[in-house]
Amino acid sequence: MYRYIARRLLWAAVMFLAVTVITYIIFFVIPADPAVLAAGRSARPADVVRVRHYLGLDHSVPYQYGLFLKRLVVDQSLGRSFVNRRQVNTMIGEAAPVTASLVIGGAILWMLLAVPIGILSALRPRSLLDRTAMVFVLIGISMPVVWIGLVLQYSIGFKAGLLPNAGYCDMINPPQGADCGGPADWFRHMILPWTTFAILFTAIYVRMIRSNVMDTLGEDYVRTARAKGAPEPRVMSNHVMRNAMLPVVTMLGMDIAIALGGAIFTEYIFGLPGLGRLAVQSLQNFDLPTIMGIVVFSTLCIIVLNLFVDILYAFIDPRIRLE
Amino acid sequence: MERKLWISIAMAAVGASLLIAATATAAPSRSAKPTKAGAGGTLITELNSDVDYTDPQLTYYVPSWEMQYATACKLMNYPDKEAPEGGEVKPEVAAGFPVVSKDGKTYVFTVRPGFRFSDGKPVTAANFKMAIDRLAKPKLASSTAFLGSDIIVGMQDELDGKASSVSGVTAKGNKLTIRLTHSAPDLLARLATPPFQAIPASLASNIDPAGVNTYPSCGPYYYAARTPNRSITLKLNPYYKGSRPHNSSTIQVNVGNSLDVIYQNVVKGTTDYAEDGVNSTQYASIAKKYGINKKQFFIRPELEVDYLALNHDPGKLFHNNPQLAQAVNYAVDRHAYLAQRGFLAGQRTNRILPPGMAGVTKKTQILTNGYPISASPATLAKAKSLANGHTGKGKAEMWAPNSGPGPLQAQIVQFNLKQIGIDVGIKLLPRAQQFVTARNRAQATYDINWSAWGADYNDPFDFINILLDGSSIGPTANNNDAYYNNAKFNSQMKQASLIAPGPRRNAAYQALDKAMMGQDPPWAPQFNRLNRLFVSSHFGCFIYNPVAEVDLAAACKK
Repeated sequence: MYRYIARRLLWAAVMFLAVTVITYIIFFVIPADPAVLAAGRSARPADVVRVRHYLGLDHSVPYQYGLFLKRLVVDQSLGRSFVNRRQVNTMIGEAAPVTASLVIGGAILWMLLAVPIGILSALRPRSLLDRTAMVFVLIGISMPVVWIGLVLQYSIGFKAGLLPNAGYCDMINPPQGADCGGPADWFRHMILPWTTFAILFTAIYVRMIRSNVMDTLGEDYVRTARAKGAPEPRVMSNHVMRNAMLPVVTMLGMDIAIALGGAIFTEYIFGLPGLGRLAVQSLQNFDLPTIMGIVVFSTLCIIVLNLFVDILYAFIDPRIRLE
Repeated sequence: MERKLWISIAMAAVGASLLIAATATAAPSRSAKPTKAGAGGTLITELNSDVDYTDPQLTYYVPSWEMQYATACKLMNYPDKEAPEGGEVKPEVAAGFPVVSKDGKTYVFTVRPGFRFSDGKPVTAANFKMAIDRLAKPKLASSTAFLGSDIIVGMQDELDGKASSVSGVTAKGNKLTIRLTHSAPDLLARLATPPFQAIPASLASNIDPAGVNTYPSCGPYYYAARTPNRSITLKLNPYYKGSRPHNSSTIQVNVGNSLDVIYQNVVKGTTDYAEDGVNSTQYASIAKKYGINKKQFFIRPELEVDYLALNHDPGKLFHNNPQLAQAVNYAVDRHAYLAQRGFLAGQRTNRILPPGMAGVTKKTQILTNGYPISASPATLAKAKSLANGHTGKGKAEMWAPNSGPGPLQAQIVQFNLKQIGIDVGIKLLPRAQQFVTARNRAQATYDINWSAWGADYNDPFDFINILLDGSSIGPTANNNDAYYNNAKFNSQMKQASLIAPGPRRNAAYQALDKAMMGQDPPWAPQFNRLNRLFVSSHFGCFIYNPVAEVDLAAACKK
């Protein structure tokens, strides 16, 4: 087991380096000088030189990358934004909880909906419930997240006024000047974003769980368990669900990681100050330190989640350890 | 099996009812409650994206300067009035206009007593010197230092780290003396910009390159709170005794909603002013519903011009080719070009200076006997005759932004110029990249560049000299994206810049504008943008200052 974890960790470090190097290269291939942007539109050449020096852009690209790694490892610092000069650590620290609220809340919602619907559909194939669920799946997969979000926002948030049409409230410690805060406000403001975010994944998971449960129900070991006289709840929990949910656990870990990227649309529509919106702004402004910060953070999230899933998988399925 | 079924049904019910229950119990959000009406209430505005800084010596974004107009007190300022009076610089904290030396290089201001910062400390001449000293701190690396570094004695030395303060600025009692390297009659307009506002000693000693979010200020309001990317709160300065209006007790700026949501919030009345505007597709219906310049929807000209920069650099199509530049001005369909920005986006123009600057008015926005602002067969025929024999290889490269109306506008130009025998190849770039690359002479490979310029301060120097003085062209950091370098006009620009503000200066710049456009057009000016302002039914006391834009200090709740 320890060798397995060590191998995984080593691979994670390699992946991390590869992602950051590629991001750096892409940024410097684009022929736009961030120092000119940061110096302001009326800056003179001397001003640009001064700003370039201040931003550390007057060194070679490999040297800058080395500095970036040193700062990251030694100082645990992601540097300062080119645009507003704030600490990138602080910016990510502010944005990450918002994205986490969206992704984790969305994941809970989609699992709460997908697991029972998927199981019910598998247990009652071709029933009215199953057919209705499959129609929902088709619609959920077909509709773009942006469209769902805009429709929910306009109809429920703006026209009906049942829920806030946009904005974010902190669950704890709302910032000075905020016009809302606390768990109740946070929850109300997140309902539409969660729904928007969860619909696509709910549809995918319903289909996957239904298919897995149906496949497992037909396995020999399930038939054997029943033939041995095992009670139905035990058959379902010990034999069917444990096997049917294995791929779901894997998928969940990967999807939550992917969802960090997919959150961009939902964050944009509902004005959530999360990592997605920060990433879009940074890209528009050629703000390399912030882009790198988001890449580093997202990469770490994906690596950690994948690692967690791998280890969890090894615990759930002893065959993984043996291999 | 049956038990499992019931458990599944129960779980499904919990999951599905989560939304319904939450929706049913949810009261309208706090942000949905309209603020209590009446003077002294909270004015709520919204920004789609955050400002760069709130720090007076760092900020350079338009919405931020709009807020600074409510928080700052300056030696010279623009009155809280609409154009044309609102565009004329007047003494604010200065007791009157400065005493200027005969050579125009020394200005002595007398600071009026009675102004106080929001922490109660009095404003003195030293507070203005502190601002200039801070602006030039190399560690601060301010992108607005250019507003003074080219004219104020010793400012460049401090920027270069050779001095700890600006030697050309001295404060003694209530007298502030500013010495200039050369005569610069636009100094008063420059001093009316936010970086030159009085700052307290506590801010002067804080040289954080990330800027400060809140600080005591001496205008009608001060920054009481800011959470980057979330909100900004301006509160009434309790010590303000000046004559400027200050009608709301709080100005709350919320940041981050999409333009669609901001529109919805203004319609609902939970937001009073869409500071970043709304989606351009919505203006037609807004105008239809609320009328224009009546209660909720206003249009006002910006000190801005959208133009096609015609590259005059050697080797480019318009180098020593005034006939072709004139032909392009005849050929482009300004109406179609402007239409791509949406309803009431601007007013077509054929000149460099925008209305509101140097005495240009709405009536003189279009030069008489200038280029046509409407395309017709006759104008096309004229364009063809001018272009005949001057189209070089018949090919041109045009750069335009890859978002907004840029791509469509580029296609219109492509079609128009095809009619006069020029095959335009379009290169679409992200706006930031286009802007940066066009400023680098070696990389600016275009013949035609989609461009736009808004004034930093209300003086024609900021348009004509900054954008078209060829003597300042260098390898990098060029605002002159037409790379226009006409010796005769360079000299005339310099002469015009030395004339004191007033009718003579205005006339000189207007004549220069007309002469350049007529004889050797650097650009094909297209239109001057209109600021389309959508406010809620609670928004009262609307004043649009032509330089500072919406007067937040004057705004009141109905």
